[in-house]
Amino acid sequence: MGPQSSTRALQAEVDALKQQLEEANDTLDAIRSGQIDALVVKGEDGHALYTLRSADHTYRIFVEEMTEGAVTLNSTGLILFSNAQFAAMVRQPLSEVLGCPFIDFVATADRPLFGRVLLAAWQDSAKREEVLLCDTDSLPVQLSLKVLTFDGDKTLSVIITDLTQQKKTEAELKNKNEQLETLNNALLSSNHDLQQFASVASHDLQEPLRKIQVFSNFLQERSYHLLPDSSKHFVEKIISASNRMKTLIVDILTYSRLSANDAAPEVVDLRILVEEIIDDFDLKIVERNAVIEVGELPAVEGNRGQLRQVFYNLLSNALKFSTADRVPYISITAKAVHAVELGVALLNEEEYCHITVRDNGIGFDEKFADAIFGLFEKLHHKSTFEGSGIGLAIAKKIIDKHHGLILAKSIPGEGSAFSIILPLKQTNLR
Amino acid sequence: MTVTRVVLVEDDPDDKDMFFSFFSSRKDLKLLPAMANGVELMEYLQNLRADEPLPDLIILDQNMPMMNGRQTLTFLKANERFANIIAVIYSTYADSNLITECKKLGAAMVAVKPITEEGYQKMMDNFLQLVRKGGSPA
Repeated sequence: MGPQSSTRALQAEVDALKQQLEEANDTLDAIRSGQIDALVVKGEDGHALYTLRSADHTYRIFVEEMTEGAVTLNSTGLILFSNAQFAAMVRQPLSEVLGCPFIDFVATADRPLFGRVLLAAWQDSAKREEVLLCDTDSLPVQLSLKVLTFDGDKTLSVIITDLTQQKKTEAELKNKNEQLETLNNALLSSNHDLQQFASVASHDLQEPLRKIQVFSNFLQERSYHLLPDSSKHFVEKIISASNRMKTLIVDILTYSRLSANDAAPEVVDLRILVEEIIDDFDLKIVERNAVIEVGELPAVEGNRGQLRQVFYNLLSNALKFSTADRVPYISITAKAVHAVELGVALLNEEEYCHITVRDNGIGFDEKFADAIFGLFEKLHHKSTFEGSGIGLAIAKKIIDKHHGLILAKSIPGEGSAFSIILPLKQTNLR
Repeated sequence: MTVTRVVLVEDDPDDKDMFFSFFSSRKDLKLLPAMANGVELMEYLQNLRADEPLPDLIILDQNMPMMNGRQTLTFLKANERFANIIAVIYSTYADSNLITECKKLGAAMVAVKPITEEGYQKMMDNFLQLVRKGGSPA
């Protein structure tokens, strides 16, 4: 053996060793990347099989046990791996699933979509899309696709989530929402109808009523002296009844319109507001020698016209229901309160004011403390105290709209006290 | 004394009668024939010859068939020849919506129909003040 041949032999040996090393490296890489889970090694006693019991094993079980389907696709879209769950989803034995193009299990209608998703997934790596599986008994699923790269070889792992339950819930929710919307619309329209009705009825009632007022006034002004004494009385009755009717109609209109307009709240200085109202009542106050005391009142957010109506109605009542045997004394006072002290939170507002309108009038039995805020509720006989019985109902509706509370307390024969609790601000809604 | 030429546009016969019984004796008014609705007024105005004087004051009821007070107001204000005539609305009932709308349409005043003779006379005095001022409310 010459030196040349020995060099060649050495070279061959080096090459063989190199190849062995490369194979060993490949095997190691394959093990590391999870591409193989078993090795067949040629040993002295023939071939021996070595399986890997590494961290991979845990994941393998995990993938098999999970409720989602899991498959791995090669670059042509063939299923290289599938867990049992996916096979169950497409109702095929696992052996039939492996090696098949995934697209075969997608419902025909969704195949063009799936083709595009697949293409995009290979480029963008991660994609989510909802498709239907199978043509018969189709199954809505969400696909989560992710490209995995092993040594330059790309595979696509796909997690398939069954959406049947979710779709069912969605459908139910949609159904319920539609029902709710229908009901809501019905409610809105019936509310609207009711307002229309009140408004139209009141308008149309006013025309003939005005005629009664006009002609009974004429009778009194022009022909009163011609009437026998027994009939004069009737004319007065007609006039007073038609005036009361007018009050009723206007109040119903006011009440029905309260639901309709919703202006943006403004800052209303209650002290100024109350003093204006007292000016309006000037005549009555002088007539009855009434004493009205106004304490410090805060400024609150609200609808000025509506709040004015509340205090107007309360003061009007306080003056109206005074007793003949003592000087009417009315006080309007306020104190600041917090939601915690009140034990009520009517909106996301912490600061409230508690306003009390107190009088020393005839009062009422406290068992009617709730009833007096009802529509047309009157506790006192109409011949003694005129009015429509709507004043407090209007006040309550307005205070309700301002997210407040109105309460009444009274001792019959001694007086009543109306408490209004109002949030200082209306803006912290919801 | 200046005499104001007044047209009443009113469909209700009672209200029309009342109007004439209260105002026909007033020396400061010349009552032109009453119209039953806006359409009649429109025809009346359009048939006036160029040399005939226009009314100085038009009193419109709000609730009328065919063409109500607001529609008539719209017609008047859109017509160059009639736009400067003082037009007022009077109605059995006036809420803030009606008042704002009529004002926007160009009504010089919105009044609630009175229920006494005294009320009628006061209402007319107010209207006449507006005619003298040329339409801008006090």
